[in-house]
Formats: sequence, C-alpha cells, structure tokens
Amino acid sequence: MDRDSATSLVEAILLTARGPVHVEAIAESAADEGLDVDAITSVLHDLQLEWDSSRRGVRLESVAGGWRFVTPPQLDPYLRAYHGIAARQRLSQAALEVLAIVAHRQPVTLPEVNFIRATNSTGVVRTLLDRELIRVSGRKKVVGKPFLYRTTSKFLVHFGLERAEDLPDPEELIADEAVSAE
Amino acid sequence: MASEAEYPAAEAIGPPIELPDFTGPLDLLLHLIKANDVSIYDIPIALICDQYHEHLANMQELDLEVAGEYLWMASWLLHLKSRMLLPRQDESQEDPREELVERLLEYRRMKELAALLHDKDVVRRCLWSPAVAAELDTGNTDVDWEQVDLRVLAQTYLEVMQRFSAAHPPPLQVIPLRFNVPDKMQEIYRTVLHEGSMSLLRHLHTRTDTEEVVVLFVATLELVRLGAVRASQRKPFAEIYLRKGSHPFTEDRIADFAEAANGS
Repeated sequence: MDRDSATSLVEAILLTARGPVHVEAIAESAADEGLDVDAITSVLHDLQLEWDSSRRGVRLESVAGGWRFVTPPQLDPYLRAYHGIAARQRLSQAALEVLAIVAHRQPVTLPEVNFIRATNSTGVVRTLLDRELIRVSGRKKVVGKPFLYRTTSKFLVHFGLERAEDLPDPEELIADEAVSAE
Repeated sequence: MASEAEYPAAEAIGPPIELPDFTGPLDLLLHLIKANDVSIYDIPIALICDQYHEHLANMQELDLEVAGEYLWMASWLLHLKSRMLLPRQDESQEDPREELVERLLEYRRMKELAALLHDKDVVRRCLWSPAVAAELDTGNTDVDWEQVDLRVLAQTYLEVMQRFSAAHPPPLQVIPLRFNVPDKMQEIYRTVLHEGSMSLLRHLHTRTDTEEVVVLFVATLELVRLGAVRASQRKPFAEIYLRKGSHPFTEDRIADFAEAANGS
C-alpha cells in the first residue's frame, strides 16, 4: 500500500471510530497491506501537521494511548448553537478535588478521599461514577471492604492525558507557584 | 493560576457580606491562612481559630447549614489553641499543630491538582469528536477488561439474571392435591342416595375453586363409568341430573378405587 492510500485509510478509520484509535488497531485492520506500526505512526504525525491549520475545523490529537479527530475549542459556541446545546455541565470544585485525589492516589477508597478532603464525598463520587470519569475497580481488603476507585479512559480523554501517570506531581505545581510568586 | 478564582472574597477577613463557597473545613482554613498571609508551617492558631469561629457564626447567621465537619474542625482548632497556650516542656516535644499542617499540605496538593484539572476542563470540554460511529451498531461492544467498572459488571449480571428468569419461568410446581377423586365420588354418591337425584351443573356452579370443579367432574365420570350413578340430560347444555345407577356403590369398592388411584 502506498503512502497516499495509507493516509486515506488512517483518516477514514479515525473519522468513523468511536473514541481514540490505537495505532496497533489500525495496523491490524490493514494487516495484509504490510503496514506496520511505525509506518502508521509516521502517517499520523504527517496528518496531524496537515490538519493543524487555521483553515481547518478539525484537529488530530493523541490522547489516552490513541488518536482521534477533535474540533478546536474556539468553535464550541457555534457547534453548541448548531446542536442546540445551551450550556455544558461544569465539574464542581468538589468534583475536581475528588477527581484529583482519585487520579493521583488510585486505587483509592471513599474513606481515604473523605479523610484528605475532611468532608463527605459520597455524592460527588456517585456523580463522577455516573459521568464515567471514575470506576469501581475492586474492593480493598480491609474492614468493611470499601470499594476501590480508579479513573477511566474517558477521564484521560476528557483531560487530554496519555496515561494517568502523566498528571504532574502536585509538589511540582506548588514549587512552580512559589517560583512565580517571587 | 486558577487560585485567584478560588479565593474571590479576600474581604472575608472582616465581616463578610458574601461568603465564598468552601468545599470543606480544610478549604476554609487554607483560605484563612492565605488571606492572613501567614505560613502554613507556622500557623498562628489563636488568630486562625478565632477567625474560623467567626466564619462559622456568620454561616449560621445566614442560616447556612453548618456541616458536622466544620464543627469537628472548630473543636480541633480550639483544642490546639489551648495546647499552644501551655508552655512547651522542651524543644524535642512535638508541635501540636503538626498533624493539622500535614492534613493541610496534603489537601493543598490535591487542590493544586484539582486546579490543573479545572484549567484543562475549561478548554477540553469545548472539544467535539466524530459522532458517526455512534449511529452504527456494529455489535462490537467489547470492553477492555482494565476499564470495566464493577458497578457496570454488577448491573450486567442483574440484567442477565432478569433475562434468564424471563426466558425460564419457574417450572411447574407440583402442589399436593387439595381434593381427591375418591372423596368426591363418595360425596356425590351420598347426595344422590339421600336426595334421590343431584343437579350436577348447579352444584358445580356454586364451587369457587376450579380445582374442586375439575375433581368433582372427574369423580362424576368415574361414578358413571362404574355404573354407580346414571347421568341424564334432556338437551345439550341443559342441566345434568345424577341418579342412582344399576351398580350400588359400596365402601369396599371405594377403598379399591382409592387404592388403584394412589397406585397409579
């Protein structure tokens, strides 16, 4: 398969895929064509550059271990107007705190989250479960067998992360703040 | 930093007119520490404690429900305040504020991370991705096992069990017979003997229990077969009259019949 055909194939898969596409998955679907992971990755990087233009309403991004097409954020108001969506549901401060704790310390239990926040997070955790940003990954083998929570791939996609470990160390953030305050 | 937005009411040191929203007692404490421009490692407990209590009083004045966590922190602060008044025996003794400082630091780290997530959320919730495949039902709903939410698993299990019980209704239950044919045969035969005749349909219509009706009918058929009872009907659907048959029905024959019925 020549490079132009490979490019069109990759583009077509990305356009019709549900969620970020792994490079391996593309390679598998074109296994007979002798396209390997490296070739596809190179195609993807070229495509990313090609789409990254102010004339285009689509960008190619690498997120949660895969690739996907997204629209640039500045077009959101017009898209919402077109689709008749008035406003987006914001994540509350409490929800962001719980997400931060789960993301940084996963797997983590509700009592542990409650302790760090010094306040009850039961309702917030339920909301985050419903929004599929966290999931129950098991139970901790301690008294009461509390559920263990982890972040989901939807969390990674939403916050533009490759892996949960890509979140910066909170210590670094505070150090940055101290430097910028001086 | 987003922290600017999180501490919108620096005037809360004085009598606050508008109370900022705090997500918990640690959040409020961090706010007071920042507002007073004091070090988190050397908190002037007396000052912060007084301001904290003032804040709670204001919340109560505004009829805001003060959650238990805030009261718990208030009592902790009071406890620390009293301990700080005591002269320390020697330098090696633990600072009573140490645990509070650790809790505050850990909470502040998470708050920083939350602020970062907030910044990302603000931009990234404005992204749209292709929706083409959402309309296609490829039937491929495989889930990466690492992504399985146990809640979903439990939900799926319940759904499967529901489907199973819908497809497999409870099997026929054999319940003990409440009426048996020999008893009914005897009952009918006695009525026929004593009254000369019996109106079968009228009798059946007075029964409310379907099972009893069936057993009565079968008993009648048995009696007719054995020749103990004669049935007559003038025209179709008319009343069926039972009269004494040519073969008298004795206790022995009933016993024989009952044995045969049980044996089968």
